[in-house]
Amino acid sequence: MKEYTLFALVSAAFSLLLDRLLGTRIIVRREFWIAMAIMMFFKIPSNGYLTGRPIVLYNPEYFLGIRLGTIPVEDFLYGFGLITITLVLWEYFVRKERNREI
Amino acid sequence: MHAEYMIVLGAILLFPLLFSIIMRIDMYAHWRSMLKTMGIVCGAYWTWDALVTARGHWSFNPAYVLGLNIAGMPVEEWLFFIVLTFVSIFTYEATRKVLSRR
Repeated sequence: MKEYTLFALVSAAFSLLLDRLLGTRIIVRREFWIAMAIMMFFKIPSNGYLTGRPIVLYNPEYFLGIRLGTIPVEDFLYGFGLITITLVLWEYFVRKERNREI
Repeated sequence: MHAEYMIVLGAILLFPLLFSIIMRIDMYAHWRSMLKTMGIVCGAYWTWDALVTARGHWSFNPAYVLGLNIAGMPVEEWLFFIVLTFVSIFTYEATRKVLSRR
């Protein structure tokens, strides 16, 4: 498998695992999926600009070469992983902070 | 224009930053959690990105970056993760606030 494809898949899977391991379970919450949809919506013009101009040039050796518009499909998994890991950790640390206050 | 990548980052950050203040999003009160989350995510993704950039997964068009490099990556690419983690947390908290208001 191409390296970026593999890394993107692993990071997305890891984000779901982290949600389980830390017990945050944000993937069952409505606000998580709404926030994800909003981020993905705004990802299209910004990621599209970066890949379409192109500001970032992708090496065909490391990704599948399948693009939605100008955006490599791996970027969507990569983005999902990045956003999910961020929100899982955020939720985890905020809950810990709140518990300490009580 | 050399500032294009930086302008894209500014465009991504502008409204979330503005609305986090206007909407009085309860995220700066948890600045410790924000710093921890952003520190871990940026640390991990910076490392990954610097390694695969060196490997040749992608490159940055010199026409559209300012030309300031750190460890082989344009400064814009480093800032990308700070911007994205901030915007993710904002979008999630703003969604939560709007949902809880109903």
